[in-house]
Amino acid sequence: MRIAFATEENRGLNSVVSSRFGRARYFIIVDYEGGEVKSYRVEVNPGSEARSGAGIKAVQKLINEGVNVAVAGSFGPNAMTALGEMGIRHVGMSGITVEEALNRLKNQL
Amino acid sequence: MIISVSGGKGGTGKSTVAVNLAILLAEGRKLVMADLDVEDPNDHILLGVSLEEERPVNIMLPFIRYDDCIKCGECGHVCDTGAMLISPDGLPYVIPRLCSGCRACFFVCPTKAIVEGERTIGYTYHTVVERGSRFDLVTGMLREGEEHTPPAVLAARERAFSLPADLYLVDTSAGTSNSVATAMDGSRLVIAVTEPTPLGLHDLELTLRLTQKMGIDTWVVMNRSGLGSEERHEEVVRRYGSEIVARIPYSRRIVESYVKGEPIVLLHPDSEEAQVFRELASMVEGVI
Repeated sequence: MRIAFATEENRGLNSVVSSRFGRARYFIIVDYEGGEVKSYRVEVNPGSEARSGAGIKAVQKLINEGVNVAVAGSFGPNAMTALGEMGIRHVGMSGITVEEALNRLKNQL
Repeated sequence: MIISVSGGKGGTGKSTVAVNLAILLAEGRKLVMADLDVEDPNDHILLGVSLEEERPVNIMLPFIRYDDCIKCGECGHVCDTGAMLISPDGLPYVIPRLCSGCRACFFVCPTKAIVEGERTIGYTYHTVVERGSRFDLVTGMLREGEEHTPPAVLAARERAFSLPADLYLVDTSAGTSNSVATAMDGSRLVIAVTEPTPLGLHDLELTLRLTQKMGIDTWVVMNRSGLGSEERHEEVVRRYGSEIVARIPYSRRIVESYVKGEPIVLLHPDSEEAQVFRELASMVEGVI
């Protein structure tokens, strides 16, 4: 299971999950298996610098990274459409660290 | 000859100035008015006429012939608006609402797997106006939810310019976006309407900067004059080598004309406000 957390900071699993998806600075991409973090990496969200269509560029990034679940406070209409069409699950959550979010997600995955 | 009415801030009275000028300037010449504020066209409302002769504004929409797609991803790569998503299996997926119809994907596809379809993003209208004088009004209107204004502006512009006229009077949208620049392109003169407020001043300067870049002579019309200080406006206008050529007083009569949907030059032709428009119209005639 590969989960992408939208964040504004690059502090690994201590980064706080952003309220926004399409224009968040980073995605912390976590490989999560059997209730534990196998590995994670930080990727710049191309949507954060996009003139338009930020949500779609963010989704494209997640597709390319093979992500299964996206986590952010809220998702724009374009991002929602694209995530839905591409079969990527989206979860609304923000204001807590990636680690805390993972703990809350545990039972839902 | 093209003359445009613009000014930056929304609600400064661009359309009020434009319709009153159109009525006056249509006397003795063939005038076509183009309402290119496609997100909120309202000249027809101020003139009390309806929108007629509807024609769709269509732009290209890519369709994918999946049998011919080699999953190279070039179309998604070249798409600037995010309308082309490359799915996990490598096939492109089109999101119509985001597509500006630029055809970049069509041109880069190495196997010609992209077929040119189209979709309607707005409409243009043509109304013959008989209010005091007789002239043509061409209106562009974007469909609700659409975000790419330039194709609708261009279509309405082309429709207006296809009608023979001595003078084309263009009413632009607020702001200084591509749509505004596209609307006023080729103008002999821009009439920038502003008001004595900080926001009016701020947006006026943006308009002056745009018209300076485009190399178009610009006159400033101060609407709601008397409402606040105009000193800083004077300063900015001077700095751009322009001048305030007319001042429309902040008056009850203008509000009354707005409420009744009857342009002031027709409702109160002898008022001082109508006189301001007549003087402005005769200055414009000097340019023509």
